[in-house]
Amino acid sequence: MNKIDLLGRRKFITGLGIAAGAAMVAPAMAISEKADGIAWDKEIEIVIIGSGFAGLAAAIEAKKLGAKDVHIFEKMSYFGGNSAINGGLFAAPVTPMQQKEGIQDSVERMVADQLASGRGIADEALLRHVASHAMEALQMTLDAGSEYHPYLQQLGGHSVARTYQTTVSCGAGITQPLLKKCRELGVNTHNRAKFEGFLVGNQGEVLGIKMRENYHFGEDQPGKVINIRATRGVIMATGGFAQNVNLRMAQDPTLNAEVGCTNAPGATGEGMFEMFRLGAIPVHLAHIQSGPWASPDEGGFGYVSNYSIYNFPHSIAINRLTGKRFMDEIADRKTRADAELACRDEQGNPLPPILITSYQDSKQHPNTEKVIKYNVGWKFESIEALAEHFNVPLAPLKAQIEEYNGYVKTGKDTQFGKNMTKAADKYIKAPFTVVRLWPKVHYCQGGVMVNTKAEVKDSFTGAPIQGLYAAGEVCGGIHGVSRLGSCSIPECMVMGMTAARSMMQA
Amino acid sequence: MKTLKIMLALGMLALASLSVQAVEIRDYHKDVIGKNCKSCHDNGIKQFPSDQACLQCHDIDELAKKTARSEQDKWQNPHNNLHYGKELPCQECHSEHETKKPLCSNCHTFKYDKHKE
Repeated sequence: MNKIDLLGRRKFITGLGIAAGAAMVAPAMAISEKADGIAWDKEIEIVIIGSGFAGLAAAIEAKKLGAKDVHIFEKMSYFGGNSAINGGLFAAPVTPMQQKEGIQDSVERMVADQLASGRGIADEALLRHVASHAMEALQMTLDAGSEYHPYLQQLGGHSVARTYQTTVSCGAGITQPLLKKCRELGVNTHNRAKFEGFLVGNQGEVLGIKMRENYHFGEDQPGKVINIRATRGVIMATGGFAQNVNLRMAQDPTLNAEVGCTNAPGATGEGMFEMFRLGAIPVHLAHIQSGPWASPDEGGFGYVSNYSIYNFPHSIAINRLTGKRFMDEIADRKTRADAELACRDEQGNPLPPILITSYQDSKQHPNTEKVIKYNVGWKFESIEALAEHFNVPLAPLKAQIEEYNGYVKTGKDTQFGKNMTKAADKYIKAPFTVVRLWPKVHYCQGGVMVNTKAEVKDSFTGAPIQGLYAAGEVCGGIHGVSRLGSCSIPECMVMGMTAARSMMQA
Repeated sequence: MKTLKIMLALGMLALASLSVQAVEIRDYHKDVIGKNCKSCHDNGIKQFPSDQACLQCHDIDELAKKTARSEQDKWQNPHNNLHYGKELPCQECHSEHETKKPLCSNCHTFKYDKHKE
């Protein structure tokens, strides 16, 4: 190798250094700016940021309403966001399955359940809007090919069984068919496409966006930034910020990096930040929900979460220190997460409580085999073996089971007031299956304020920011203090559809 | 000047070891990749390979067949999985310059015995 080659190499190495430096600085420069005199690289009719339930539903609805040129941009390398990795639980009132099972329900009843869990600060108009259109959204998934278990579940805080669950027990049972449907309809889907800020007109209206191409999440990759004009507008469907540890700790210092999280790595909230910079109203950012069904024995949502959600109605949750129940197993999420976090050993260290279920009942759900097979749940032939394994005092545990079985018989839980409808005839008896419970950060109730047209309000004028719509978890204030389980999918989809409708009418 | 030469030599060494490392992860790539960085780095040397780079040689349907699991666990197939079907880019779980954990391990305890991590 001669000297000239070496010098060439040297320059090459220097070049690498500069490139890496620039890439590290670039994200901090991402900010909205005036579109005055800017060169547009592309013109698109509808820009959708994010490919979860909200973004996918918005795209399909826009196409149905005659939009010609719809594009979904996803910053991750894979589509679906959090929507692809959750329980696939979908609550809707007055559904075909409720009619079949003879369950009396109504929009008002679903709203009332959610208002109770919202503890006085939920947005009633938005909840009613979502509940009123939930069946349409469910129908959109069915039309796209989603399949559901042939039974309803009654989740915590719901006064009746109104929750569908996909046969694969995962939101992917909805995102995969919707993504396929999008492509059939001619929606353009772009992965590794990172939203870098709005381009704003002279009246403060959103004219377009800056988009970084060839983006590699978490890596220094100098992808090219292009300016995209959105002729009808931009729908922000970018999700929550549960994976942004700094931001969640700014709201709640107890939610540090050691607290587990069920979210996809990309749930970091930049889209929400940009809307705040534009003038959107921040609502309820400090209300960050932890899932009480999660397990400390696996990461994220894993297999246990769905197992627990299905089994809570006919199971008992036991404090291992006392051998006694410590909560209503189908109370709302916040009530249960708080109760679980209070389960401590004598030194005050976390002592994850256990959920005990009769195998006869738990085995009805496909996840039961999986939690046992992958060693995140366990099966016991006797209460003695169970008590020994988890170091639970046997006598109080036996007494508790006998007491609880009395509630199963009478249909009335005088200990914690649990709704025993779904526990009828389901006595706690051997053999048992058991999982450990410990809450994980799951959902951000906070975000930008929207109205029932999915318009984003400006904090100074109170008027909608023109050309901008938002849907899904990036929005705040809808659910108040604690969102009920299975109410996010209908909200994401209905508000995505709503954004598309508003935009096509504007 | 002497210092510069030493730095250059060190720089070369670093580059050379990078190449060696590239084929150390998967021996069977030695013949096809060798030291030709561009066989994978199709977007330029400074950039990650495109998501099509591996697919020049590998067929996703064949990979999915090779890693198929039993009916009960069929959606654990990394090349045709529950969450992303056959669309998950190779680089989420594979690298030529370092070992990586599969994406699934963020949330699941099941294992892929042949995956190098």
